[in-house]
Amino acid sequence: MIPALSLAGSLLGSPDVTQAAPAAGSSSPAAETSFGDVLAKVGEAMETLKNGETTAISGLQGQASIQQVVESVMNAERSLQTAVAIRDKLVSAYQTISQMPI
Amino acid sequence: MIDPIGAAIKIAGSGLETQSARLRVVAENMANAHSTGTTPGSDPYQRKTVTFESQLDPAIEGNLVRVKKIGLDRAPFRVEHDPGNPAADSKGFVKLPNIDLLTEMADLREANRSYEANLQVIKQANSFTTSTLDLLRNSS
Repeated sequence: MIPALSLAGSLLGSPDVTQAAPAAGSSSPAAETSFGDVLAKVGEAMETLKNGETTAISGLQGQASIQQVVESVMNAERSLQTAVAIRDKLVSAYQTISQMPI
Repeated sequence: MIDPIGAAIKIAGSGLETQSARLRVVAENMANAHSTGTTPGSDPYQRKTVTFESQLDPAIEGNLVRVKKIGLDRAPFRVEHDPGNPAADSKGFVKLPNIDLLTEMADLREANRSYEANLQVIKQANSFTTSTLDLLRNSS
């Protein structure tokens, strides 16, 4: 899904597409940001998920307190929800443009 | 971390950790409320105390809380006449720990309240995040 979108994003050089990207709150608003780039950055936020998983496992092994496990898993959940919400928003923006009657 | 909600969760999390440490100390004191020494005339278990301090976290530009020190209570031991006890001295007196179960219960209750308060902060921060994200979700 993401590679296809990035392809489509690079093909679509329209101003509407590039304007949608900074609105997503990406960390480095480049001059030419495509949908695919933004979606890839959302994917980078998934690092927090890995963090939560690692802490959860070390918690099961008794090396981390239950508070630390809950905190990191909740952090992961928060970034996942944020990423999903932003992605949904971007995809709906993309669909709005692609379904525009010509 | 510039996100203030994330910072609030981290700070409340440090509160949870310290209150857990406090609970551990209370548990230790309660469990050892009757632990005498092993040799005649020796000292029994000495009550432990816990103190807290704030700690600056540069990542969130705020103060976390942590356990400063787990110290020993210097209050005098209770003395009981019990010549049959292995820890009794030559006059038949046994030294018992300087623990008052009522004080420990009060400490336990306070740790409980503080833990719940910190949990409430985390719940509130979570609902802030959720409702803000819902704004993004339902506006389409």
